[in-house]
Amino acid sequence: MAKYLFNRSLQMFFVFFIFLTSSYLLFNAMPGNAFQSLLLNPNLPPDAYEKTLALYGLDKPLLERLQLYIVNFFKGDFGYSYIYFPKSPVELIAERLPRTLMLFSIVNIFAFYTGFLVGKILAWRRGSKSETWITITSVFSYTVFYPWFALLMLYFFGLKLGWLPIGKFLYPEKWYDAPFDSDVIFVNMIWFTVIVTIIQFIAYVLTRNIESISIRRNIRFSSFILILIGSYFYWGTGEALVRRPYAADIAYHMILPVFTVTLLAFAGTALLTRTTMMEVLKEDYILTARAKGLSQKRIRDRHAARTALLPVVTSFIFTIVTIIDGSVLTEQIFSWPGMGQLILQAVLREDIPVAMATFSFLGIFALVAHFLADISYAYLDPRIRIKSQG
Amino acid sequence: MSNSEKEARKKIRRTAINKNWTLFKQSRLGIVGLGIVLFFAFLAILQPILFLSGVWNEAVYDPVVGYEPERVNLLVVECPQQYPTEKYAEPNDCPARGEVNKVLVFDPSVSVGDYYETSLQPAPPSSKHILGTDSLGRDIFSQLMEGSQVAFLLGLLSATVGVALSTVLGSIAAFFGGRVDAYLMRQSDLVLMLPFLPLLFIISAFVELKVWHLAVVLGILGGLGGSVITIKSAALQVKVKPFVDSARITGGSRMGILFSHILPNVAPLALLFMVFSVTGAIASESVLSFLGLLNIDMSWGLMIYLSQTDGYIFSGLKYWWLILPAGLSVTFLAGGFYLVGRGLDEVFNPRLRER
Amino acid sequence: MQENILEVNNLNMHYETISGEVAAVKDITFHVKKGESFGLVGESGCGKTSVAMSLVQLQADNAKISSGSIKLDGQELIGLSENELRSVRWDGISIVFQGAMNAWNPVIKIGEQIREAIREHYPNNTKLQNIEKIKELFEMVGLDESIIDRFPHELSGGMKQRAVIALALSCNPKLVIADEPTTALDVVIQDQILNEIKKVQDLLGLSLIYISHDIAVIAEMTERMAVMYAGRIVESGPTKDIFANPKHSYTRALLESTPSVVGDKVKLNSLDGEPPSLIDSIEGCSFAPRCPNKTISCNSSLKSELVEVSPEHFVDVCNAESLNT
Repeated sequence: MAKYLFNRSLQMFFVFFIFLTSSYLLFNAMPGNAFQSLLLNPNLPPDAYEKTLALYGLDKPLLERLQLYIVNFFKGDFGYSYIYFPKSPVELIAERLPRTLMLFSIVNIFAFYTGFLVGKILAWRRGSKSETWITITSVFSYTVFYPWFALLMLYFFGLKLGWLPIGKFLYPEKWYDAPFDSDVIFVNMIWFTVIVTIIQFIAYVLTRNIESISIRRNIRFSSFILILIGSYFYWGTGEALVRRPYAADIAYHMILPVFTVTLLAFAGTALLTRTTMMEVLKEDYILTARAKGLSQKRIRDRHAARTALLPVVTSFIFTIVTIIDGSVLTEQIFSWPGMGQLILQAVLREDIPVAMATFSFLGIFALVAHFLADISYAYLDPRIRIKSQG
Repeated sequence: MSNSEKEARKKIRRTAINKNWTLFKQSRLGIVGLGIVLFFAFLAILQPILFLSGVWNEAVYDPVVGYEPERVNLLVVECPQQYPTEKYAEPNDCPARGEVNKVLVFDPSVSVGDYYETSLQPAPPSSKHILGTDSLGRDIFSQLMEGSQVAFLLGLLSATVGVALSTVLGSIAAFFGGRVDAYLMRQSDLVLMLPFLPLLFIISAFVELKVWHLAVVLGILGGLGGSVITIKSAALQVKVKPFVDSARITGGSRMGILFSHILPNVAPLALLFMVFSVTGAIASESVLSFLGLLNIDMSWGLMIYLSQTDGYIFSGLKYWWLILPAGLSVTFLAGGFYLVGRGLDEVFNPRLRER
Repeated sequence: MQENILEVNNLNMHYETISGEVAAVKDITFHVKKGESFGLVGESGCGKTSVAMSLVQLQADNAKISSGSIKLDGQELIGLSENELRSVRWDGISIVFQGAMNAWNPVIKIGEQIREAIREHYPNNTKLQNIEKIKELFEMVGLDESIIDRFPHELSGGMKQRAVIALALSCNPKLVIADEPTTALDVVIQDQILNEIKKVQDLLGLSLIYISHDIAVIAEMTERMAVMYAGRIVESGPTKDIFANPKHSYTRALLESTPSVVGDKVKLNSLDGEPPSLIDSIEGCSFAPRCPNKTISCNSSLKSELVEVSPEHFVDVCNAESLNT
C-alpha cells in the first residue's frame, strides 16, 4: 500500500511538471501579449511599451523565463497579475474561488442527489410507459442547448416575471455600507454548508448499527430537524445575525443559476444510475433478496442502488473536477464573477501569471480527484480492496 | 483462409446482424432515436437535392449567401415613450407586424403615417420560406439543413477519431499492464487536467477552427481523456477470460491476440462510446459557435449566435423562428444519437433486455 | 391439522419469449407431507427450477402461471398480492438457490444479509437476539461464527453454500426447497453438505423439497420423489419403490445410466437424442421420440395421465397396456 502511494505520488508529480511546462509554453506561444492594448493609445510616451515589457520581465528569452517561472513556482512565488496589478494570482483565486465553489457545490449536490433518485426509480419501473417517457425527457434535458436554455430562464424568470435577479451575485445598493467584504460572507456560507453536511453524515454513520428500521429512520429525520432548528438559531444571533441579510442576498441571487444548472445536470447522473441499476437488477442476489421477502423499497435501495452507487460516485468525483471548467459558461451568462470568469479573462487577455496559477490549481485538483476516485472505488467495492492496484 | 471458410464467416455475420437488428427493434428508445437521426440525415441530404434538381433557386435559398429580395410596404409609426397606450400594451409591441419605427428609417422624406417600402428581415415563416428568414434575408430552413450536414460530419468524424484512439489505447493499457499502463493513465490524467473551454479559446487563437479542424481536435481531446480509463477496465475483464490464456499458450503473438481477441470484444462498448461521443460533439460545437470561436460558415450554433448578436434573443416569442428551430435541432439530434446508443446497449448487453 | 405441508395441483406455467410461448411446466400435480423430504429429478431444462420458482412465486417477469393451485399448509399461494406473498416468503417457504455463490450481495457482510431477512419477519428482535440466532444456525451447518462479519468473496464455495442453507433456515420456515444445492461443489464437500442437510432436517423436523439431476443424491436424500421430463411429471411415488421398480421408460433409462459403486462393472446405457423443444405443444407422450420401448400407440392423441400402479406410485402413460414390460 505504501509502495503504491509512493509510486503514484511520484507519477503525479512528474505529470504535473510536464503540465506546468507545456502550459507555460502554450500561453507564451499565443500571439500578442497582455500589454498590446497600450499601443493603441496615441499619447503613449516613446518606449513606454518596451519599458513596461521589461518591467514584467517579458523581454527575456522564452527558455529563461520558463526556468525562472518554474523555480519561482516551487518556491511559492506566483508572480503578480498583469491585469489586476498589484494583486497576486493567489489573492485573486482566494477572492473568486469561494463564489464558484458555493454555487457549484450546491448545484452538484442537488443534481447528484436528484439524479440518483430519478435513476433509481427509472430502473425500477423498467418497461412501463412512464419509464420510457421520463427517460426521453431526461435525455433531452441532458442535451438541451445550454446557453439558449439559460438565457431563456433568465428572460422568463428575471425579465418577464421579475421574480429573480438577472445575474450578478448581489445587489450593489444593499452592500454600500456593509461592514464586510463579500468574500467573508461567502466563506462563512461555505463553512456553514460544510458543517451541516458533516453533522448529517455523522448522524447517518452513528445510526448504522441500530437494528430496527423505523427507529433508524426516525433518528435520522430528527437529526435533520435539529439541524434546521440549529441553523435558525445560528443565523439569529451574534455575528451571524449581522451577516444574515447579506448572506440572504447572495442566496437569493443563487436561486436561478442553481435551479437552471441542476435541471440540466441531474439527467446525466439519472441516466447513468438507471443503466447501472438495470444491470444490477439481473443479478442473482437480487432474486435472493426477493425470496427473503424483503420489501421492494428495501431491495431497490439497499441492494440494487448500493451497488449502482459505485460508478455514480466515480462520475460524481470527475464532475467535481470539471466544476470550474463548466462554470465558465454559466458565469458568463449569469454574470457571476467566479473562477470560470477569471480563467477566461486570463486566457483571453494573456495574463500569464494568473492563467498559469489557475491552470495549475485545476491541474492539481484533477490529479487529486482522480486519485481519490480510485481510492473510493476500492472502498466501496470490498472486492477491489484485496487486489493490488495496477 | 479457404473460400468455404470465408463463406461461412460471411453467413455467420449476416445472421448475427439480422439478430441484432431484431433485438434493436425491440427497444422503444432505440427506435425513437433512430427515427430522429434518420430524419435529420434526410434533411442533410435534402438540401443538395433541392438545389441540384432546380426546385430551389440557389440565389435565394443558399444558407450563407442567399437573399430574399421580397419587398413589403410597412407603415411608419412613432413609438411612444409611455406605455401602455391605446394601441400598444408594452414597449415590445411597438412596432407591430407590418410597421416600422420612424427612428430606423433613414430616408428624411418619409414621415409618420406614410408607407415605406423595404425588404423585411428577418421575415416570419411564409409559404415561400417555411421557417422564415434571418436578419440577412437567408432562408432558415436551408440553414437548418446545412447545419444538419455540419452536425453529422462533425459528430461522426470526431466520434470516430476519439473512439479509435481510446479503444486502442485502453486495450493496450489493459493488455500490457505495468509501465505502459501507468504511462497511459498519467497521459489521460494530463488531458483531464486541462479545462475544456479555456483550452479551446487558446487553440482558436492559433488556428482558424473550421469543421474538420474542430472535429479532429474534439476527437483527440475526447479520445485521450477519461474514456481510455473506461475502455481499459472493459478490456481488463476480457483479458482475464480463459480464451485469452489459451490463445497465448497456443503461441499467439501479443499483438495478434490484441487485435483478434480483445479488440472485437471491446468493440460493442466502443461503438456505444462512439454514439455518445457524437452527442457530446454536437453539443460542444453549438456552444463554441455560440461563443463566436469558430470559423464555420453555417451551423446551428452559429444560427443562435447570430440571433444573439443581432439582439433578438430577448425579444421573446416575436422572432421565435430565429432561435427555436436551431436550438431544438441541437437537442433533438444529440438526444437522438443518445437514444440510439441506449438501444444498442440493449443489443450488446443481454442483461438490459426485457425478455 | 393438515397432513400435507404442500399441495400442488395441475400447475401450468409458460414463458413468453420473442419466438413464442414456451410451456415450461405442464399439468404438474404432487404433494409433500409434513416432515418428509421430497425429491424432484430430471434433466437440465426439464422444468424443475421453473416449478421451484413458481412455488415461491418468484418466476421471471416473462413467466406466467396460466392455471393450477399451490397450497402451502392449506393457504393458496396463487393470486396473493405481493405484500401477502412477502410475508409468506422465507417465513413459510424458503429456497436454497442453484448456484448459491451468486446469492450473496458482494458488498454487504454475510451476517447483515441474514439479519435483514430475520428483521423482515421478526421486526421486534434486538440485534443481539438476531446474532444469537445466527450463531445457532451456523453451528447447525458447521460454520464458525467469525463468518458473520465476513464478505462473501472471502468464503470458499462450500462455506458459501452452508451459509445459504443457514440463511434459508433463518426464519424457521415450514418448507425448504433445495435447488441443486451441491452441483457446483466437489464430492467431498457435497457429501458433507448433504449430511448437514439431513441432520438439520431431523433436528428441526423440516419438510424439504430436493431438486437435482443427480439421481444418486435423490436416492440418498428423499423419501418420496417425482421424475420430470419436458415439463411433465412422468413418474412419482416412494423413492425406494421407484428405484426397485421403475415403470416409466425414462425413469428406467435414468437409472441405467448411473454408474454403481458396488457390483460388477456394467456397460452403461445412455439415451440418444435430446429433450423436445418446449415451444411446440406436444401431443401424447412427450418421451415417445426417444423411448426404447415405443409401441405404435405411443404417439396417439390420447391425453397422458397419471395412473396408480402400486400404492402411491403413479406413472404417466397414454396407453395402460404398454405397461406390461
